[in-house]
Amino acid sequence: MINGTEKILVCCGTGCIANGALDVAAALEAELAARNLSGDIAIDVVRTGCSGECEQGPVVRFMPRDLMYYRVSAKDAAAVVDSLEGEPVKKLLFRKDGEFFEHMDDNPYYALQHKVVLKDVGIIDPLSIDDYIARGGYEGLKRALTMTPDEIISEVEKSGLRGKGGAGFPTGTKWRSAASYDEWPKYIVCNGDEGDPGAFMDGSTMEGCPHAVIEGMIIGALAIQAEEGILYIRDEYALARDHIQHAIDDAYAAGILGESILGTDHKLDLSIVRGGGAFVCGESTALMQSIEGKVGEPRAKYVRSVQRGLFDHPTVLNNVESLASIPIILREGGEKYAELGTEKSKGTKVFAMVGKVKHTGLVEVPMGTTLRTLIYDIGGGIIGDRPFKAIQTGGPSGGCIPESLLDLPVDFDTLVEYGAMMGSGGMIVMDDRSCMVEVARYYVDFLCEESCGKCTPCREGLRQMRKILTDICEGRGKDGDIELLERIGHMMQDASLCALGRTAPNPVLTTIKFFRNEYEAHINEKSCPAGVCAKLTQFAIDPDKCIGCGLCQRACPADAISGERKEAHVIDPTKCIACGSCREACNVDAVLTERRPS
Amino acid sequence: MSENVNKTLTVTIDGIECICEKGEYIFDVAKRNGIYIPTLCRHDAFDNHRACCRICIVELKQRGRTKIVTSCVYPIDGECEIFTQSDKIREERAVLYALLAHRAPDAPGLGQMGTALNVNGVDRLVTIDNEKCILCGLCVQACSSLGTGAISTVNRGVDKKVSTPFDKPSVFCVGCLSCANVCPTNAIEYVETETTRTIWNREFELQFCDECGTLMGTRESVAFAAADVELESPIVCDECRKKKLANEMMITYRFV
Repeated sequence: MINGTEKILVCCGTGCIANGALDVAAALEAELAARNLSGDIAIDVVRTGCSGECEQGPVVRFMPRDLMYYRVSAKDAAAVVDSLEGEPVKKLLFRKDGEFFEHMDDNPYYALQHKVVLKDVGIIDPLSIDDYIARGGYEGLKRALTMTPDEIISEVEKSGLRGKGGAGFPTGTKWRSAASYDEWPKYIVCNGDEGDPGAFMDGSTMEGCPHAVIEGMIIGALAIQAEEGILYIRDEYALARDHIQHAIDDAYAAGILGESILGTDHKLDLSIVRGGGAFVCGESTALMQSIEGKVGEPRAKYVRSVQRGLFDHPTVLNNVESLASIPIILREGGEKYAELGTEKSKGTKVFAMVGKVKHTGLVEVPMGTTLRTLIYDIGGGIIGDRPFKAIQTGGPSGGCIPESLLDLPVDFDTLVEYGAMMGSGGMIVMDDRSCMVEVARYYVDFLCEESCGKCTPCREGLRQMRKILTDICEGRGKDGDIELLERIGHMMQDASLCALGRTAPNPVLTTIKFFRNEYEAHINEKSCPAGVCAKLTQFAIDPDKCIGCGLCQRACPADAISGERKEAHVIDPTKCIACGSCREACNVDAVLTERRPS
Repeated sequence: MSENVNKTLTVTIDGIECICEKGEYIFDVAKRNGIYIPTLCRHDAFDNHRACCRICIVELKQRGRTKIVTSCVYPIDGECEIFTQSDKIREERAVLYALLAHRAPDAPGLGQMGTALNVNGVDRLVTIDNEKCILCGLCVQACSSLGTGAISTVNRGVDKKVSTPFDKPSVFCVGCLSCANVCPTNAIEYVETETTRTIWNREFELQFCDECGTLMGTRESVAFAAADVELESPIVCDECRKKKLANEMMITYRFV
């Protein structure tokens, strides 16, 4: 029986909004109003942050019944409201092996996760401070206010929390160091300049639970005795910025920020600085330069930011996810947090899993979870059950990890031993139709644009790597190219000014290490084994396999495919631009790739 | 931290024992002891080094660990061994020279340095035609420390260059030539006629001494320097001003 305590949670994360979630929410509200369910007995429609499974969005969930619907459209509103008391709408439920499942945890995508940072994301209304407080928000802060800075730092040290932006520096150590300098003003800065291709962990956290980030910053400020904090948020994250600003305003109004934090003598002011769109400004010292209004270039970090950071004052810079982990550490204690994870990497990590995996989206798992669990158990495996080839972790700083290493636990240290890194949490899954040389070229090309260009190794090394990799992809590779790439890469790792430059060659060096044969095929045989590099590949249709469905013909942007319905189609090689669209479109694997004769 | 200032340390650089103070940069200690470390972006005129050419990298062995550091900005913080010419440093410096020589093929000297270091595979690298600038940033440092701030590095990544805002003539430029004079590769071009100087797309009128006719600089640079010490823009050169002053003193004290 409906009694008015029910809630309909509509995921309004960036991904679901793109799929029409705002329309769904409006349609649901209209439907409820039409049925007089918005008056005395009101059912709230809550626009939440990212619930995680972006690929199946918009996602709608009924509470407290825990009925989860996927791929909901505005047209489904009536049926969805009907099902509040009746039978669930079958076509919107999670389906596996012909069976339908109603609850969130019936879906292994959610069941295998362990949400700590994201525990409120997708459940609360990010624009409501009351929602956050109702779920234990600001309890951590209240406890911190009864503690000395030293006690707060000890609690964080006990948790074993390490910087989740990718570097993995122990947060407690950083805070203790910053607290040791008797020099004011001090600053606490939140790094929300997430920029790795395919990564959206921090954006979703800021959108979905902005108060957790703010609470983390206040606790950090108490620990190092800072009275000013800045959130540096990338320009593209308009929604995150709006939600954070809204949360800051609410926190001021509630007496949580400002001259007197919850009635105590402590004060803290928080403000937002918009990033200018430079990837390199995610690097700590470049970020601070940018806040100061200077060109976003890193400086040598032999004197650490905790001593001389923003405006040459002691500064703590933490990543969004690290800060969002702080409230729960203070609330439940560092030891509880440290129960999760591995010996040296405690707690959980949020990943943005994208690419050729069946279920893409936001995933939070304990540190030490294997890549295989992430890709196959949570992600559901590769699209079309094609063979797995590699997973690219950590964005342009990371590496490509082959199948042989899928059972490695993902934490701060293990992947580094293999030349890759966990990084900030971006993960791009690739199947057998990904060319690893082309992947390396893509990242080098990205960095050619996004390096700050200040130091020689990074700027000039990338310029030359891009030229050599482009040559290899286009059939002009030469003997000795692989060795030259390695030589430049190793120099860059040692001699670059900042972490961006030192890790920039990782995509190249790891693909050479694990997929050297692909490089050799490109250089020696002028062929692209994955059938991706257009200059080396030609496409043909296998007449025995082709069923004449016409999908490839419709997908072809160059009008190069012809054929009668239900008869084998053919590709006109003079028109074909080797884009691969036909191969992607074909459901029966009838499009073949072969070496293009030179 | 303060109790450690002025603490004297002994370090070895290439096997030579050197005395230094805690916090001194490796480069400075090496230089004082006659040990040559090559660099392209460091200039004695500035305290803040950009540390961007990376040519001055050295190997640092401390507490059993070896790492590569940039000697021009690495403050020595304890006893250590430093190697400026290890095999690894020579190899990486060679690659750096090769990269710079291909970036700026017209920069004097770079090509020879690369050749001297025996860089293989050089012909494989791409060059930028007619480029002289190695982006050491000294010009930008000179301009900003003068207080003019007319030029800066612009763009990112491989497209980075030094320029005025939007490549337009800068209202802040005084045509003083500090940028061109500090440039190690003569990459900053300017044109002078009998009465004008053109640099960074802006033409300046030259000013000559009212007394002796010596070139004093552009009108803007002379006025800028005077304004810096709160004086009116002079009309005579320094030499003539001194002569005039000496004359006046002679008359005043009746030495004539």
